[in-house]
Amino acid sequence: MRLKNHKSDFIDQSEALSFIFNNKSYKGYKGDTLASALIANDVLFFARSFKYGRKRGLMGSGVEEPNALVSLEIGGRYTPNLKATEVMLYDGLSAVSSSNPNSIDFRALIKPLHRFMPAGFYYKTFIKQKVWAMVEDSLRSIAGFSKAPTEKDEDVYDHIFHHTEVLVVGGGVAGITAALEVLNNSKTTRVILVDERAHLGGELFNEFQSDDTAISWHHDNLSKLLEFKNVANSRLKIFSRSTAYAWYDHNYIEVLQTNATGESLISGVTQAARKVLHKIRAKEVILATGAHERPMLFETNDLANIMLSQSVRRYLNEFGVISGKDVVLYGNNDSIYSTAIDIKNNAINCKVIDIRPSGGESETVLKAKKLGIEVLQGYAVLKAHGTNLVKGIEISSVELQGKKWRLTGPSKRLNCDLLASSGGFNPVVHLDCHCGAKTFFDEDSQAFLPQKVRKNRQVCGSISAIGFWKDVVIDAKNKAQLILLSLGEIKKSTQDSMSKNYLDYYNASQFFVPIEILNRPKVFIDMQNDVTTLDVALAIREGYRSIEHIKRYTAMGFGTDQGKTGNINGIAVAAQFLDVPLSEVGTTTFRPAYTGVDFGAMAGREVGGFFDPQRYTTIHDSHLESGAEFEVVGQWYRPWYYPKSGEDIHQAVNRECLAVRTSLGMMDASTLGKIDVQGKDSREFLSRVYTNAWMKLAPGSCRYGLMCNEKGMIIDDGVSTCINDNHFIMTTTTGGAASVYSALEMWLQTEWSDLDVHLSSVTDQFATVAVVGPNARNLMKVLCHDIDFERDNFKFMQWRPGTVCGVQARVMRISFSGELAYEINIEANYGRYIWDEVALAGKPWNITPYGTESMHVLRAEKGYIIVGQDTDGSMTPMDVNMKWILAKDKPFSYIGRRSFSISALNSDDRFQLVGLLTKDAHVVLPEGSHIINNKGGSIGYVTSSYFSPILRRSIAMAQLKGGLSKMTEIVLVKIVQEKQGLKEIPCEVSRSVFYDIEGEKVDGNE
Amino acid sequence: MFLIVCPYCKESRDQNEFSPAGEAFIARPQNPEELSDDEWSDYVFYRTNHKGDHWEQWVHTNGCRKYFLVKRSTISHEILEVAAFGEVTSENPS
Repeated sequence: MRLKNHKSDFIDQSEALSFIFNNKSYKGYKGDTLASALIANDVLFFARSFKYGRKRGLMGSGVEEPNALVSLEIGGRYTPNLKATEVMLYDGLSAVSSSNPNSIDFRALIKPLHRFMPAGFYYKTFIKQKVWAMVEDSLRSIAGFSKAPTEKDEDVYDHIFHHTEVLVVGGGVAGITAALEVLNNSKTTRVILVDERAHLGGELFNEFQSDDTAISWHHDNLSKLLEFKNVANSRLKIFSRSTAYAWYDHNYIEVLQTNATGESLISGVTQAARKVLHKIRAKEVILATGAHERPMLFETNDLANIMLSQSVRRYLNEFGVISGKDVVLYGNNDSIYSTAIDIKNNAINCKVIDIRPSGGESETVLKAKKLGIEVLQGYAVLKAHGTNLVKGIEISSVELQGKKWRLTGPSKRLNCDLLASSGGFNPVVHLDCHCGAKTFFDEDSQAFLPQKVRKNRQVCGSISAIGFWKDVVIDAKNKAQLILLSLGEIKKSTQDSMSKNYLDYYNASQFFVPIEILNRPKVFIDMQNDVTTLDVALAIREGYRSIEHIKRYTAMGFGTDQGKTGNINGIAVAAQFLDVPLSEVGTTTFRPAYTGVDFGAMAGREVGGFFDPQRYTTIHDSHLESGAEFEVVGQWYRPWYYPKSGEDIHQAVNRECLAVRTSLGMMDASTLGKIDVQGKDSREFLSRVYTNAWMKLAPGSCRYGLMCNEKGMIIDDGVSTCINDNHFIMTTTTGGAASVYSALEMWLQTEWSDLDVHLSSVTDQFATVAVVGPNARNLMKVLCHDIDFERDNFKFMQWRPGTVCGVQARVMRISFSGELAYEINIEANYGRYIWDEVALAGKPWNITPYGTESMHVLRAEKGYIIVGQDTDGSMTPMDVNMKWILAKDKPFSYIGRRSFSISALNSDDRFQLVGLLTKDAHVVLPEGSHIINNKGGSIGYVTSSYFSPILRRSIAMAQLKGGLSKMTEIVLVKIVQEKQGLKEIPCEVSRSVFYDIEGEKVDGNE
Repeated sequence: MFLIVCPYCKESRDQNEFSPAGEAFIARPQNPEELSDDEWSDYVFYRTNHKGDHWEQWVHTNGCRKYFLVKRSTISHEILEVAAFGEVTSENPS
């Protein structure tokens, strides 16, 4: 209900807003959260829990809320699993529970079985019994929260980068004070202040009812902040409704901001980004993140209207709403008295149950008693009564015996309709721990606190267990002074002292509740995942000791709330069952993200097409006009095949391959990586990085080279051309260009800085047109008149400079098909022109453009490997039967050479490259198929496999264990055929050269 | 996400401009053929995986493409020093 005479700074009662929740209409006011508006409308059930489907109400009031998960809007604006406590109300809002509390739920129907479903139930029942696959779908449809979105997100999200001297996280008393202290004491320091709530002030608003100085302090300091903000070139940025959710190395912090217009952007009218991801680099960070309250533990503590004390207080003070008329406050520290005073002052009935036998006679306690609030000291709540909604509680007197609480008296019953509990406070240390900082357990405050000293970071306020706001002001000023000192803005820091009893607010003198209570059923630790104290006990009985293991076994803290209210209690419960001090149990690891982050916000504007560059050769337009199909190779769009109308890939490849073998083909080879190597030690350099000899390669010649790494494994291959003694052009595989270039640079820069060698990537600078086939020479004679193409004057593996169709060119006689072939290299911008000229001049020989698929077939027919397809980074030159390319007498021990003599690389049992000929010439083995032994185990696999049009049979290359000594043997290859299912195909092991074994074709017809 | 000062560009730039290139001061042996298999494996495979201040190689991939040396704490990831090759060596690491 909403209190009639309550005056709130946040709620604007002149502006009513209507909204829909679970298909019913309600009214709220501007300034409400969805949660506060629903309390005002007496809606108490928000959702169901994950495992048992129990009906749950609100527990918290902010990011810590475990229960009240809702999905907002529909279609392209649908957002699942938001916390109702964080959704600001707007007119026309429409939300549904993530799991509807008002409809029939299978999980709730089997309630009597819940006691047989403890932690590990699903694993033990289904996975261990190997029936998981049968039940997975149905179980997943029952469990869980909201459905995933199905439509494209209509909203826009932004990323903004910031650099700042000081980042202050948290806009409560501590954050405001620290930010102002820095701004006041420096003329240049830039400050960013981020706060997750809609209004700066944090928990201070709770003091407004009883403390006028709090009101004036807030007013004064906020005005001062605004003075800094509302000037040109302001040094101050303030982001509200913004959560710092991750702290990465070197003070890089990510902040997610829900924009002012926020969720209220109306469909179709996009005004601004819905959320903004701020990426902040800060020199210094001040953490003023505050603390979360933890609940007390007792049986059925998950009923609706059992809430956190501070949250009840906040709903009352900030929003003027409360969900009960007969309130019980229960806890172990003075903060429950403060809540009770505020409730009593609003003329609502309340009692306080304090587990501490002598609750101290602090000012707050005395004040509560003076107001006539009934106080029971030395009592514990054993159980909450009620079905779904709390109706009463069972309490019993307790006593501290030694270090343990014991129940002492008979239990009695009290009626209430709202129970607010406080088991102390958990400092929000999450962010501080993201980069590996540790926490320590502080006995005085009974809390895990951030480690004391850390570079470029200070903590202030209740994150370090300082609770009274006036002490927080002093603490924050002190810490800001240290930051200024670290920045060099001041020479000496001023440190004031806090009041003597500054720790009292936190005096949750004992963490534990009597173990008799923990041994009851349905004492929930993690509300969202339905983890109870008995689950923790079970985990410990089954042998788990580390809190990290207990967490994973029970799923404690795995929900969207990440255990903000439950985890520390879980740790305390584990400590109690293990009978060790809490400090010995420690915390689980805090990792980003602190709270849920929208995928849309992470993506920002980078949606739609991929960011990966798309590379086209200068001939690309011609390929498009020819109707080529493309494949992507190392970002390049390469023609895959050129189908004529009605042709499929097989028919096209068949035609292209036969054209090359019988007359003439042409290919765009521009994408091959090209590295220009210059300097007087270029030869020496090539000798060091390739396995073969380079010292005698004459200008005008080319040579194939195989490149290995130090482990002796093949990493690349290609042809290098000697332009002159100090100048070579190395080609690499299309996909390997960048990594090879990088590896070569590394050798030059880190090991061989004495070599006079300079590398430049020139891949993009040249276009290459390959003219391939028995008629290639005839065509070249037409195209170019200043090169002598006669067979004995321009030999295989030579190159000549010349003029092709009026363009300066380097013509190389190299072949990747075994046919007579020339590669015309021209300056890249002439690519299209030369391509068209070649196509025109080649008509008499029916010149046929061919793509990568035919190139693969042609090279496989000749047994040429493709690095990365026939090798996989674990193949030596010996494994691919290329011992011939290993120079024996080079003076320098080239890269990889020493590894070749390691015994493991010379075993006969290694995978070795062989050919496979299927017994049935028409069966083409799928690449990747396994070769099996007589027991069905794998002894190798197919790396390349095609139907060879010229041989009219299937050919394959494969890695086979000890394959080189298995020539002519028959092996079985297991394949899956569409209709027949699994089949074993007999194949003969052969050399991997299938066509023109003697190499007679390379000179052409003459 | 580190900020790294490239000793050649002399600017503090984001980590995603750079690539790590392994432990520093692993010199390629002068005489590989004379080494035992164990000694050679030491060079090829074994690294110290040091906890604490550690010299390593980085390359300014999306920048000047120069390799350089970085002294980084493997605990806090703080970068304590950067240097061009030759400015520090394994004999006189600062």
